[in-house]
Amino acid sequence: MQTLSNLAFGLGIALSWQNILYCFIGCFLGTLVGVLPGIGPVATVAMLLPFTFGLGPAPALIMLAGIYYGAQYGGSTTAILVNIPGESSSVVTTLDGYQMARRGRAGPALGIAAIGSFIAGCIATLIIAYFAPPLAEVALKFSPAEYFSLMVFGLVAAVVLARGSLLKAIAMVCFGILLGLIGTDVNSGVIRFAFGQPELADGLGFVALAMAFFGITDVVLNLEHEEKQEVFTSRIGSVLPTLGDLHASFWSIVRGTSLGSVLGILPGGGALLASFAAYMFEKKIAKPPRTFGQGDIRGVAAPESANNAGAQTSFIPMLTLGIPSNPTMALMIGAMMIQGIAPGPQVMSERPELFWGLIASMWVGNLMLLVLNLPLVGLWIKLLAVPYRLLFPAIFVFCCIGAYSVDNKVFDVYEIAALSALGYVLLKLDCEPAPMVLGFILGPMMEENLRRAMMISFGDPAVFLTRPLSAAFLIAAAVLLVAIALPALRAKREEAMQE
Amino acid sequence: MWRHMRIRAPKDFWAGLIFIAIAGSFILLAQQYRLGDLHRMGPAMFPTLVGALLAALGSGIALRGVAFDGEPVPRFHARAIGISLLAIILFGAALQWFGLVAAIGALVITGAYAARDVRPVENIALAAVMILFSVAVFVWLLGLPLPLWPNS
Repeated sequence: MQTLSNLAFGLGIALSWQNILYCFIGCFLGTLVGVLPGIGPVATVAMLLPFTFGLGPAPALIMLAGIYYGAQYGGSTTAILVNIPGESSSVVTTLDGYQMARRGRAGPALGIAAIGSFIAGCIATLIIAYFAPPLAEVALKFSPAEYFSLMVFGLVAAVVLARGSLLKAIAMVCFGILLGLIGTDVNSGVIRFAFGQPELADGLGFVALAMAFFGITDVVLNLEHEEKQEVFTSRIGSVLPTLGDLHASFWSIVRGTSLGSVLGILPGGGALLASFAAYMFEKKIAKPPRTFGQGDIRGVAAPESANNAGAQTSFIPMLTLGIPSNPTMALMIGAMMIQGIAPGPQVMSERPELFWGLIASMWVGNLMLLVLNLPLVGLWIKLLAVPYRLLFPAIFVFCCIGAYSVDNKVFDVYEIAALSALGYVLLKLDCEPAPMVLGFILGPMMEENLRRAMMISFGDPAVFLTRPLSAAFLIAAAVLLVAIALPALRAKREEAMQE
Repeated sequence: MWRHMRIRAPKDFWAGLIFIAIAGSFILLAQQYRLGDLHRMGPAMFPTLVGALLAALGSGIALRGVAFDGEPVPRFHARAIGISLLAIILFGAALQWFGLVAAIGALVITGAYAARDVRPVENIALAAVMILFSVAVFVWLLGLPLPLWPNS
């Protein structure tokens, strides 16, 4: 009952005309940018961040959340129509979605993606509303030792679930932590690793980092191998799926939503893992299985529901623990800090209007996406016809203005250039940026909690193992690492990543 | 002995070396701060610990590059990355000295050459559109404090 009254309270905030407007603008802009091929949700949120600077905390977060799931959905549209995933979480949607489009069924594919996402979004919103408050209660009792161990577990889980080499991913986390330490040390006031640059006293800009690694380097890599793709813009037909389609995909949507909700909470999971897992699962249990990969509507419904559910439940660790589970959530935490809010379990009790307003706005946002996407599909398609040579300079402009606007410092623009160069080289060497970005955000928090824990325990590191919850996190992290290093499981993981 | 060593996986080998170099510089730089002890950690302690871990991982990755076969380093296309970086730096410099209008102009007109197919007229038109759009949205509508013109 408490949850329902909280949700009602949140709805009251989310349904103020002002917040509806910002939610709408967020969904619209998010979809607009997300539709563009090769621009994922992280880059979209980073680029559109300056749009929220003039707003209060609640409208800003509501708009950013709208941008996030807008971008998520926009990526699916691109996947279905162009066979280029707009972002990594819609990679699997290209498999059956594009095949449906080639068979003249682009409309129903888009429609089922929207409907599946809407159902998943509604259920995931309820899950957040029910599970976030108890989790925040527990988190309030965490001591620094628990926090430190939880972050270690989170980073390990993120690394294990990342693509590519395990060693490289852990190395990228460490590198990210070190980069995060640049700037003033809160305990001693010493400015570290700043080379005497006063601009670095506040540390590297997180927005600049996100734009360099997910915006500029992506554009550059796209420019290096330009391919021509066939866009199905001529005939979309009705976007409404037939009754048969709905019947065929109903259970896929339910299964996708459940899988996505669970996987979204895991650190490093979120939308990407959710959509992969849901597709694999559907393919495995489908009868007959042959139709997958040839335009099976279940192959669109399941991953699309899963990635939306995952995108939403990944807010749970961010809202309750102040710990991001993926780079987009790291950006949301950055946005909260810009708004002067310290992320963590106290947000729910100290800023209930923010907490419940954001959760309720997710439901409003999902409804908006459904309303927005079905009639506006024509507009998104026109956008897909814009050549890349006109798009990428615009991306540069948004990245540069966005990075500058965080602090009104030209130095941040130069940071983009320097970090892009670094990101380019690392990407060429198969070092994924996502673990690094998590390390960057968590690094200073880890140091802070490690120091406090050691201070309380008088320098005895055993504190991390004598406190049961802390020990549990560390053991779980160790088990994960060992499990993934075992050859048998490793082969399985690579196989899953291949598909 | 070294003569028999061969880099078999250049991607791993070079990534490992880069990590070792990064770890080394952070550890070295950290030594100018107080190390402290485990009870009261100084500002140098955590970076040194993480740096050591990174150095170890880097060595592991580099050694793997010597021990096992792997992919070669893909080609670096100087044009795309070089011109993009140049355009961004130009944006920063122009914004500081000449304001937003000049900065966007410089960024778009230079940056477009990162792609192979540039159409000069179209490029100038795009710069004009981006200037109009950015000024209207970011400065007028959102009220962000961006200098529009030199000395404004």
